[in-house]
Amino acid sequence: MARLVIDPVTRIEGHLRVEATVNGGKVKDAWSACTMWRGMEIVLRGKDPRDAWAYTQRACGVCTTVHSIASVRAVEDAIGAKVPENARILRNIIMANQNVQDHIIHFYHLHALDWVDVVSALKADPKKTSELAKKISPWPKNSETYFKAIQDKVKAFVESGQLGIFSNGYWGHSAYKLPPEANLMAVAHYLEALDVQREIIKIMALLGAKNPHPQTFVVGGQATPVDPESQNALNADSIAFMLKYADMALEFVEKVYIPDLLAVASFYKDWAGIGGFSNFLACGDWPDANGKMYLPGGVIRHKNLKAVEPVDHKKFKEYITRSWYSYSKGDVGLHPWEGETTPNYTGPKPPYEYLNVDGKYSWGKAIRYDDLPMEVGPLARMLVAYGLGHKDVKEVVDMVLKKLGVGPEALFSTLGRTAARGIETLLMAKKTKDYILELAANMGKGDTKIADTEKWDPKTWPKECKGVGFHEAPRGALAHFVVIKDGKIANYQMVVPSTWNLSPRDHKGQRGPVEEALVGTPVADSKLPLELLRTIHSFDPCMACGMHMIEVREE
Amino acid sequence: MEIGIIGVGNILLRDEGVGPKVAEILKKNYKFEPEIEIIDGGTLGLDLLVFIERFKKIIIIDVVDFQKEPGYTEVLRGEEIPPYLKTRFSMHHVGIQDLLEVAKLTGTLPEEVVVVGIQPQVVEMGLDLSETVAGKINELIKRVVDILEKWGVKCALQSHQK
Repeated sequence: MARLVIDPVTRIEGHLRVEATVNGGKVKDAWSACTMWRGMEIVLRGKDPRDAWAYTQRACGVCTTVHSIASVRAVEDAIGAKVPENARILRNIIMANQNVQDHIIHFYHLHALDWVDVVSALKADPKKTSELAKKISPWPKNSETYFKAIQDKVKAFVESGQLGIFSNGYWGHSAYKLPPEANLMAVAHYLEALDVQREIIKIMALLGAKNPHPQTFVVGGQATPVDPESQNALNADSIAFMLKYADMALEFVEKVYIPDLLAVASFYKDWAGIGGFSNFLACGDWPDANGKMYLPGGVIRHKNLKAVEPVDHKKFKEYITRSWYSYSKGDVGLHPWEGETTPNYTGPKPPYEYLNVDGKYSWGKAIRYDDLPMEVGPLARMLVAYGLGHKDVKEVVDMVLKKLGVGPEALFSTLGRTAARGIETLLMAKKTKDYILELAANMGKGDTKIADTEKWDPKTWPKECKGVGFHEAPRGALAHFVVIKDGKIANYQMVVPSTWNLSPRDHKGQRGPVEEALVGTPVADSKLPLELLRTIHSFDPCMACGMHMIEVREE
Repeated sequence: MEIGIIGVGNILLRDEGVGPKVAEILKKNYKFEPEIEIIDGGTLGLDLLVFIERFKKIIIIDVVDFQKEPGYTEVLRGEEIPPYLKTRFSMHHVGIQDLLEVAKLTGTLPEEVVVVGIQPQVVEMGLDLSETVAGKINELIKRVVDILEKWGVKCALQSHQK
């Protein structure tokens, strides 16, 4: 039996590693190990809770904004600050913009090359590629000359021996099913998406005060002044600026991303039966003026879409039976407010060949909901909304299912996960525009309030209080838990999407979502396990960019 | 502005945060003529594309595994850079590698890319630099200033600084 190891960067802690055993051309068992947070409280304990967001936005290499939002929300929840309308809407714009940009990057730059063979694109006929592109979308960049130019550019890149970002692909693998023309079209869009993503993020740059690390958040609201008449505030010009980029994003999603998704998916329908999971959790986000979430929260057990339950965070428990920590009370599950982070590394001394997967094997804790592992992310959000009969979600999901000629059960799969991300991108691209217009309307009413300052002074806070801040980050439900004593942080725990999805086994021996999803995955060539990467990448793990196969060993 | 300085690294991982810290000191304490832009790049990768594409020359300040003693500093240029990015102290190195490769592919790579690197002593959760690396801050600043002066930039300590 072959034992596969997928490990992006063996020298550091803080990475994701997957080990799998393969038998008879299929994955028999899998283990995902990671280091996400070795305890934010180590850094945050004793600090002013109003500053926590500025630290937490540095926690992750990819997402800055998401941790800022969850953090200010956690502190607001603890001290009872009420976010005014302008700030609520601004946050909705920021979150929607981030969601669209992140999903575009994920689809084209972190996931597409699991399905698209760059080298095959070099063999494509540009004329036929142009015909194909015209058939699926009215996107203007679809001429024969255009595709020829792209092909020449990629050819020059490949021939120079500097494959760069393409250097880790399994080009020519038998699991690639697209014809050369579809591959060339996708490669062209891969390059276009690079330009588009850095244009549409200009909305964030405007709202985040031109800094790669947004300085715009504040406990109680936002720090950006809002005034349609003022030159020094978000004004009518800013609204027009944001609308321009929101339109650009929506057009790209409608005319490129969705058609590409449908075209690629139609060649990989077998993946509607591979890589699925059964329990899902969404915390809900994008609140309206009444606090109702545009994408609702909910829990789905055992694929039962008819019985979506409300989320109760008191049912969150983190187990360390198989994780490199110890708890003062032993092998129990702890709610994040009571969370402890005492490292207890018992793994092999690096560099090592294999982890001891029969014992403790991960820096990630096993987070469970009511003792069940939960998948979080776009698929969880779409399934919860679909189960609750959400009109917009149902409309797009049903359109995609119909075009692919599959039923809703196909959603519980790797393909379903990838499709759900695209569906959500379309919805959020539309909502970005709605929120910008909502902000304009609210400003038009003369409302310039941007933050609740009544609770700014720690003297107004209870002696001891605790809060939770939820945010539907692009890769899934994110929660920050804070305990405040005498105006200072006493405990701080982050439950990030990858903690749910990549969690190791728990006290009952239940596999985490990625581990479970990998079981049964076909593997054509155990030396080139492209199929595993498809499922792992479909979860959009934080470290997706670094996830490349580096070694394979026979047992 | 033709010249940019980007300090990269995770400020929550002790010595990993030396890049942003040096960038902050340069921004606060120096005056440059002509003006240059100084960016705290944190752990970002592709999101920095929009920041680097407008420069002709950039200096990246970062921890680098030179396989030397902690505190060792060196300047890397052009083709010397990529091999060092393959051994990483943290995930942000993946991001920087992707950033440079994508910039090359899309034709937005600055004409000159220089890395001012330092061998870290400790990369673990925490806000403070190790004494060794903290003691090398002036050396890193001098290396950056030397490069800038070769590029024809006048670098002066701000008057309020002693």
